[in-house]
Amino acid sequence: MTIQPQIELLSVNKHYGGFHALKDINVTIPKGSFVALVGPSGCGKSTLLRSLAGLESISGGEIRITGKAVNDTPPRHRDVAMVFQSYALYPHMSVRDNMSYSMRLRKASRAEIDAAVADVAAILGLGDYLDRKPNALSGGQRQRVAMGRAIIRNPKVFLFDEPLSNLDAALRVHMRKEIRALHDRIGATSVYVTHDQIEAMTMADHVVVLKSGVVEQQGAPLSLYDTPATKFVAGFIGSPAMNFVGGIVGDTGRAVTLDLPGAPSLPLARTMEPRRQVDVGLRPEHLSIETGGAPGIETTATSVESTGSVTYLYCGGDPEIVVVLSERERISQGDPVNLTIAPDKIHLFDPETGAALR
Amino acid sequence: MSATRHTRLLLFAAILLGAIYLFPLYWMYATALKSGSEIFAYPPTFIPRGLDFGIFAEVWATRDMGRFIWNSLVIATGSMALVALLGTGCAYVLARYRNVWIDIALFLVLMLQVLPASLMITPIFVGFSALGLLDFPRFAVMLAFTAKAMPFFVILVRATFMSIPAELEEAALVDGNSRIGAFALIALPLARNGILVSAILIFMQAFGEFVYSKSMIQDVTLQPASVGLNGFMGPNTVEWNKIMAYATIYVTPILAAFVLLQQRIVSGLTSGALK
Ligand SMILES: Nc1ncnc2c1ncn2[C@@H]1O[C@H](COP(=O)(O)OP(=O)(O)OP(=O)(O)O)[C@@H](O)[C@H]1O
Ligand SMILES: [Mg+2]
Repeated sequence: MTIQPQIELLSVNKHYGGFHALKDINVTIPKGSFVALVGPSGCGKSTLLRSLAGLESISGGEIRITGKAVNDTPPRHRDVAMVFQSYALYPHMSVRDNMSYSMRLRKASRAEIDAAVADVAAILGLGDYLDRKPNALSGGQRQRVAMGRAIIRNPKVFLFDEPLSNLDAALRVHMRKEIRALHDRIGATSVYVTHDQIEAMTMADHVVVLKSGVVEQQGAPLSLYDTPATKFVAGFIGSPAMNFVGGIVGDTGRAVTLDLPGAPSLPLARTMEPRRQVDVGLRPEHLSIETGGAPGIETTATSVESTGSVTYLYCGGDPEIVVVLSERERISQGDPVNLTIAPDKIHLFDPETGAALR
Repeated sequence: MSATRHTRLLLFAAILLGAIYLFPLYWMYATALKSGSEIFAYPPTFIPRGLDFGIFAEVWATRDMGRFIWNSLVIATGSMALVALLGTGCAYVLARYRNVWIDIALFLVLMLQVLPASLMITPIFVGFSALGLLDFPRFAVMLAFTAKAMPFFVILVRATFMSIPAELEEAALVDGNSRIGAFALIALPLARNGILVSAILIFMQAFGEFVYSKSMIQDVTLQPASVGLNGFMGPNTVEWNKIMAYATIYVTPILAAFVLLQQRIVSGLTSGALK
């Protein structure tokens, strides 16, 4: 069975005057999937989403929705629904009118509208607020209205631009699950923009990492975590972020010597080109403290934070190495520690290009 | 304690300034109600002695004020409609699009605002007469005044449109509106207050317009009240009470309207019409 692609972006480019905002973007989104666009601020996430919606015209390439090129199709004929970061609720309309606006535009019958509004209000728990104006709602309720306005359309594609960034942490975690559940229930195709990699990892089937208008890597969330293609992706995905240390591959190619006091050497799981300069990436959660004589990084704990469930260990300095321990360890500031890591968990990157070395 | 004294001092200063500023207005009302001899009494009486309200009816009838006021109304309404119709679209475009040409347009608009009517009238007069527009003098005044008042309106309404987030219209576009639909159904209703208030201000200005009317309308039956008032005042005028009565009839409705609408006008100008 071949899955029909719902959205295809074929070498999409976007220029704002002299500024190249999107560079040769190629993404294929299968029907029914949930795709997250992540990246740091200003990398072009919103621009890409707005291009999909038709609010921004692209300078080159092609955007296809259900196989049809939509480059010159105005937003209203693309059959996409969008949830804005600011929600963009119409302030002069009640919640009911906000949600039914699209239906009224296409001259749906009164009965049809009432039924659809009741339906969506029930799904989102907005039944009691239908006659209120948006400014009489809380942030979370407004967010739901914005969702309702999109759901009622039953569109081919949902576009979300950081819909949760204005909510508090607890509500954000809750809505995260709810949006994903809604997506599964409606069976829609969703594109979700966020700068929060945890949202991307937990919600999406497919994650696209953007950096300065370029797709750095895309794939299943765990594949980005396990095999990041570049140093940027390695540092962006995962929290706390991966530790990076300069180093050089040993004469045999089976170990790497780190640029740290004492020049510790870590065994590698594969053979690398000998005497090659590399950047070594060590995930905080893959490091452990060893008391036996295993080869590791001899350093001292400069600071210890415990949340109860996990312990954050900050070791050495220049560069500082962060370790996350799930066991409670009796370590205090100033204690010497020996950090070890399984050889197959070590990531190596080219110091010049940032590309992963495999 | 010293804070309250400070406030009182400021309040006193405000009242004093207000009194000085409004004194001519008071003098107009007072003089209208004075008798012919009292006007020239020395020292002048501050409060008129015998109140003679009959003067208003008399002036209204003898000076044909009904006709003058009607002409003023026609010119003011026409100008307001023209300004609002043309200016709203202009203000919207200037608010929503940003590029070099828009900046140039904005600069020209602001420059027009600086030019005085008395300077503009000569080229306008010549141009209009060449086009034959002076055969419809009231319409000619409307056109000229529209050009004069447009920058003021455009700048106010542009600020109103700029206070409306563009995302609202983008949401409407995605929801199924055309570009014009999003303007008409989302931006326009949200800017309504700002547009209304600016239009009322234009109406009030046009109602008192003098320079263009005086130059372009020769036919006395088509002249507005401002020109009529001017014609009333000759070099040897002694009927100051009648002139003031005329002025009173002319400005009181406008003044009353302003006082009634004052709260809306001020809030409409400052809050940017959202909410
Ligand atoms: N209208 C515009 N004209 C010129 N440059 C623009 C315009 N809109 C966006 N840009 C630029 O394009 C780049 C990408 O912007 P975009 O809004 O897509 O970023 P983003 O990834 O959504 O960031 P954020 O997470 O902060 O929302 C930015 O560098 C921005 O300055
Ligand atoms: Mg953005």
